[in-house]
Amino acid sequence: MESERIEEYLEAIYKRQGREAPVSTSSLAADLGVSQPAVTDMLRTLENKGLIDYKSRMGASLTRTGEERALLVIRRHRLWERFLTDVLGMKWDKVHKEACRLEHATSPDIEKGLSSILGNVDTCPHGHAIPDDKGNIKQGENRPLSAFRPPVKVRILSVDNEDPKLLRAMEKLGLRPGAIISVIKKSRDGSLEIEFQDTKLTLDTATASFLTAEQLPEVSFTTDECEISLGELNSGESGVIKNFGGGRGSLGRCLSLGFTPGSIIKMVENYRRGPVLVRVHDTDVAIGRQLAEKISVVRTGSS
Amino acid sequence: MKKITESEEITVALAGAPNVGKSTIFNLLTGLSQHVGNWPGKTVEHKTGVFRRDGLTMNIIDLPGTYSLTANSVEEQIARDYLVHENPNVVVAVLNAASLERNLYLVAELIELAPRLVIALNMLDVAEQQGLKIDYEALSRTLNIPVVPIVARANRGLRELITQIEQECGTAAGLRNVKHIEYGSEITDVIDHVDRLLDDGITGLYPKHWTAMKLLEGDEQINKMIRTRMPAERWPALDSYLKEHESAAVTIATLRYEWVERMMAVAQQKRRVGQVSLTERIDRVATHPVLGLFMLIAILGVMYWLVFSIGVPIQKFLDINLIERARDFIYTLSYLPQWLQGFLADGVLSGAGTVLTFIPILFFFFAAWAFLEDTGYTSRAAFVTDRFMHALGLHGKSCLPLVLGFGCNVPAIFGTRIIDSPRARLLTILLTPLVPCTGRMAVIAIIAAAFFGSAAVLISIGMIILSLLIMAIVGLILTRFVIRGKSSALIMELPLYHVPDLKLIGMVTWQNILAFIKRAGTVILAVSVLVWLLSIIPNGNINDSILADIGKFLEPVGRLMGLNWQMMVALLSSFVAKENTIATLGVMLSGSSGDFTQQLKAILTPAAAVAFLVVQVLFIPCVATIAAIRQETGGWKWPALILVFQLVLSFAIAITVYQVFSLFQGM
Repeated sequence: MESERIEEYLEAIYKRQGREAPVSTSSLAADLGVSQPAVTDMLRTLENKGLIDYKSRMGASLTRTGEERALLVIRRHRLWERFLTDVLGMKWDKVHKEACRLEHATSPDIEKGLSSILGNVDTCPHGHAIPDDKGNIKQGENRPLSAFRPPVKVRILSVDNEDPKLLRAMEKLGLRPGAIISVIKKSRDGSLEIEFQDTKLTLDTATASFLTAEQLPEVSFTTDECEISLGELNSGESGVIKNFGGGRGSLGRCLSLGFTPGSIIKMVENYRRGPVLVRVHDTDVAIGRQLAEKISVVRTGSS
Repeated sequence: MKKITESEEITVALAGAPNVGKSTIFNLLTGLSQHVGNWPGKTVEHKTGVFRRDGLTMNIIDLPGTYSLTANSVEEQIARDYLVHENPNVVVAVLNAASLERNLYLVAELIELAPRLVIALNMLDVAEQQGLKIDYEALSRTLNIPVVPIVARANRGLRELITQIEQECGTAAGLRNVKHIEYGSEITDVIDHVDRLLDDGITGLYPKHWTAMKLLEGDEQINKMIRTRMPAERWPALDSYLKEHESAAVTIATLRYEWVERMMAVAQQKRRVGQVSLTERIDRVATHPVLGLFMLIAILGVMYWLVFSIGVPIQKFLDINLIERARDFIYTLSYLPQWLQGFLADGVLSGAGTVLTFIPILFFFFAAWAFLEDTGYTSRAAFVTDRFMHALGLHGKSCLPLVLGFGCNVPAIFGTRIIDSPRARLLTILLTPLVPCTGRMAVIAIIAAAFFGSAAVLISIGMIILSLLIMAIVGLILTRFVIRGKSSALIMELPLYHVPDLKLIGMVTWQNILAFIKRAGTVILAVSVLVWLLSIIPNGNINDSILADIGKFLEPVGRLMGLNWQMMVALLSSFVAKENTIATLGVMLSGSSGDFTQQLKAILTPAAAVAFLVVQVLFIPCVATIAAIRQETGGWKWPALILVFQLVLSFAIAITVYQVFSLFQGM
């Protein structure tokens, strides 16, 4: 039991280290669901074993040995998760708990067996990299989804949350690591409007921060999405501004009136001839037909 | 905090986008102390005024309405140059609470240039009507800028605004910890790089970092300034770097709007509710391609009806009862020398005096114009007429001034101020004199009636169509071949409709009429006296005068259109005021027998009569219009060109018409 707890701690410290270093007792207490004094006790034990450096006010950081041990546990955890989903066909929202128990009872031989049965896997079902048997882990360019500036096309890399409810919801939508989505708009409260497999969805702020993603080249966005000129938007339809074909002269005026890429634009009136009337940043703006033809938008729907 | 001592004098600049109620605030603060002029060398209104309270004297400057401080227009250039060069003690940013999002963009730019900023959050009542709730205190805390809620229309909150300005003025500028916008490391690196390429001192009073940003934003004025000041061998490096980072303009604007969105998240407690606002309901008609046109025609109909049913009778009344009687009176003053009687009666009164009787008509036009501007309708009118104006290489904003020209060309010339692109504005000014005004139409109507009897209405309408056709052709030629350059695209905000501020309309109308009176007292007076002099020198008889000599000199040209020298003199006299043609003809024909119709028929063939109408309707604009053009184009170049051009044009077309008609007559 002792070693199991040690491993749980090392794992927790390792995961925390990505965000804060050294890791404070309070965040560990929160992550592991135990009291702060209990954490302090345990950290002392770990320090005596040479697994961490611990300074009472500052917090803990893993030593080289500690990190190796942590990565080993993480490797076993993620391999188990893979095994449970891929081989046993379990749902991905259930495997974390199981893996948490199994990881501590795994001998090097079982680990090797798992690895060879799974073949060449490098991530767990939630998209996190699996450390190799030498304790090396691939550091990807993972950025939280909330950090991207719409409109952008991204590939989901991982889900940094084990909440079964969230995972089940994502499963239902087919939103898994590897999924390619378009982030259309970020609203004031931080929630994201996204498009995935031709359906529009809204992700709340919390979800957007759990998901990490990498940006895909612009090109694929424009070929997949149907980019049209503003003049082609029908009355009542909305779109997202992509870019300008207009010259420098009208550009400045457009920008100061809020025609910035990523802005939501609503066509108020388009009679197919003459100027169009649009609403952008809460104001009605009239644009001449010629200029409207030079602004490209992606249609997002009608209201 | 520094105490405001007695006799303290501070300068306060009002900045804000168009349609935020800035002028109303300015009027409330300065009242009749305001002075309206033009910015030096520019045709943008420069309004200053003084506000006094408890020993504090505030010199208030109303900056032109702008959406940003990147020199996209003359207004923006003036506003930011004023901030940089004059460094006012406090800048008040007037924002419209109902379109806060749009207005905060300007704040984002002001923060970088104005050390002491106070925000006046106007139209909170309108915002509330729309279901918006704005937490101005939270906004103030986040921005670290005082925010004063006001309702300028109801004169609420201005006292607090003054107090806040005073307080702000007492704080040392350096202590204000206004948070500048963070542009993120990527773009900041680019800005810093440009900053390093600039030598110290090269940017003058403009902050260096700010200049770097404007260069990246593609600000042409700043670009030109740096290009001329920088050592020539260093320019290419900067230029190519700027070209390489052309997309920075978009990024910077995007980041500013992101900042605005963050501020909105703080300030906006309640979102706009989904109900259909009054503005939307009106706009369903007002911006409809067909209904909107009918609405425009109806509004203009009411305007002209007012002018003709009230303005014109008053003008006639003044002309008969004031000018005519004053003239008669002067001639009864037998102790005055004859030349002085002539000077006062025929030179001053019938020239400049007659022009002044047009004030009631002008009053209606100026007031109607200010009314339409203040309610927010002018931009709708521009919207529905845009497609037609495109044929002339112009856009919708040119239409209303031209329509106004049917009444009088003078307010039309001033009305062109709503056009933001300098090129489109110049084009509109050049075309305006080709719109037949009431003065010209009066002459046409009288002569047509005298000569053609029942066909007069048809002939008059024909003249209107002809001059509009000529205007369209000239417009096409000018835009295609003469004043080339890309036709500026229409892009304008359609502000929310609001109840017009009658005080403001009164003020604007009064200022315009005052300016007209000033011109009548100077340029118009000078020209009318000159024409009078020409008509009496050397022996007091117009038939032997220099004017007659000029007429006789022009007779060979006149012959080509069937006009004798008397008709040419009558035409020339219309330079003072178009109506003068009739009066002059009256004087010159007084010796011959019969009534006016018979007299006319004696000297004109039908073909010549038509030619005369044509030349009259297209002839050079009157002095008042020329003076207005001079003022609005800032020099004599364009007025002179218009004089020459219209002289040639009117003669050429009249000659053609006469020759063609004569051919038919001969058959």
